[in-house]
Amino acid sequence: MRPVVVSGAGMIPFERRDEDSLVDMLAAASLHAMDDARLGDRPVEAVYVGNMASGLFNHQVSVASSLVDRLNLLPAAADRVENGPASGGSAIKNGLLAIASGYYDVVLVAGGEKMREVIGPRSTDIVAAMTHPEAEYIYGVTLPAMAGMFARLYMDKYGITREHLAHVSIKNQQNGLLNPYAHIQMNITMEGILTHPQSHINNPVVADPLHLYDCCPVSDGAAAVLLTSLDVAQELKVPIVEIAGFGQATDTQTLQERSDPTDLKAVSLAAQNAFAMAGIQPEDINVAELHDAFTILEIAESEHVGFFEKGEAAKAVKNGETRIDGKLPINPSGGLKARGHPVGATGVAQVVELVWQLRGEAGERQVKDAANGFSLNFGGFGNNVLAFVLRREA
Amino acid sequence: MKTITAFKCTNCGHAMYPRHERCLNCNNREFEEIEPTEKGKLLTYTIVNELPWGIDERGRVIGVVEFENGLRALGLVESDEPKLGMELTTSWGVVRVIGGVKTYGLTFT
Repeated sequence: MRPVVVSGAGMIPFERRDEDSLVDMLAAASLHAMDDARLGDRPVEAVYVGNMASGLFNHQVSVASSLVDRLNLLPAAADRVENGPASGGSAIKNGLLAIASGYYDVVLVAGGEKMREVIGPRSTDIVAAMTHPEAEYIYGVTLPAMAGMFARLYMDKYGITREHLAHVSIKNQQNGLLNPYAHIQMNITMEGILTHPQSHINNPVVADPLHLYDCCPVSDGAAAVLLTSLDVAQELKVPIVEIAGFGQATDTQTLQERSDPTDLKAVSLAAQNAFAMAGIQPEDINVAELHDAFTILEIAESEHVGFFEKGEAAKAVKNGETRIDGKLPINPSGGLKARGHPVGATGVAQVVELVWQLRGEAGERQVKDAANGFSLNFGGFGNNVLAFVLRREA
Repeated sequence: MKTITAFKCTNCGHAMYPRHERCLNCNNREFEEIEPTEKGKLLTYTIVNELPWGIDERGRVIGVVEFENGLRALGLVESDEPKLGMELTTSWGVVRVIGGVKTYGLTFT
């Protein structure tokens, strides 16, 4: 495989964007990425769009065809890539492999979702459509419900408390305050979400034991990267940030068919494959963007990826080891918790954040001297997971 | 009693629900149809307040039960005080109404 460089990165602020259509958002993020790479009139050969459910949320399909038309990238090849909450990661994987194979040199990858076009319970129902139709969906299972059932077991097994989860939430909200692209700009406190006798008013139960501030918001947004071969990146004279590692793995669709439902095997395997391809170890990572759709996931993923031993991550979060100034900063962007989770955008937004961090362009939330970055995009409830290692040229 | 149809691998005996065309344990393609047993243990659960469109309630208890034959399945737990490991009795009832049509599934009391 030949090297693939993220030559351009761009996104638009995630929020409730009533004025913009899905394609408006994808187009805006794409132009940011193309301009960031100083691409000019050079042709884009292929476009991959990560999007989970435009047909259900927005009554629009074939959005990749719509995007190339809107941007006049014609006659570029264009595909929409759907892989649930990992659609963005899967879109990047398609672009990566297309360039690594030597077939294309310049590929645009955009991810986006417009979720707020429908009311909350509709959105919950659309997201729940990724669960098993007969074994899960009919019971009213939601993604927070899946996470709640997982959290109950994981917390029980490793002695994790609601206070530990609150530390994840507070850290990510504080990071989000430093990120102008983050949806939820809110300085929450332990008192406000946990210890005050009336904290349950601010922080009600969504799917016990998970509360509101354990869950990511429902957002609109888009992010994009321009991927190129190394030759093209050198011609464009962009800083060289390479996708050095990639891994993907799947697991049973339902949680209960996993012999140990607390074991996120697909997370471990995807991460191992990404590290092996990059030729590095988890301890070589300087900054990570994990898929904290729920606070418990940041803890569990950081252990399954190999950043911490099982049962140790909650303490590390509490001790500040994963803050921006800590030993291993996790989710300096604010993560899904604060940046938001427009489903198809997330996997791309994670890589955009890593590019900014590795180039030293992350502003107030800049992690010091980051050379290796890691992202994890978690699809379904851990049944389809992608991991990437990004490396800055030394 | 009406209930779900689950599957037991004729080669290795692994119990599965929902359906797979190849055994999750040994890839065998032949299965015997099995059902949940009358009693089971609550493996995990959650109490859901924010339910999808069409389910007009709060506090629905959803859980995974492991039956005496090793099969596991998700269903509605009709208990006000669910506890990990508690014994439950398997039943069958309306779990969701979709487009005016009653959908039946596993319930546990």
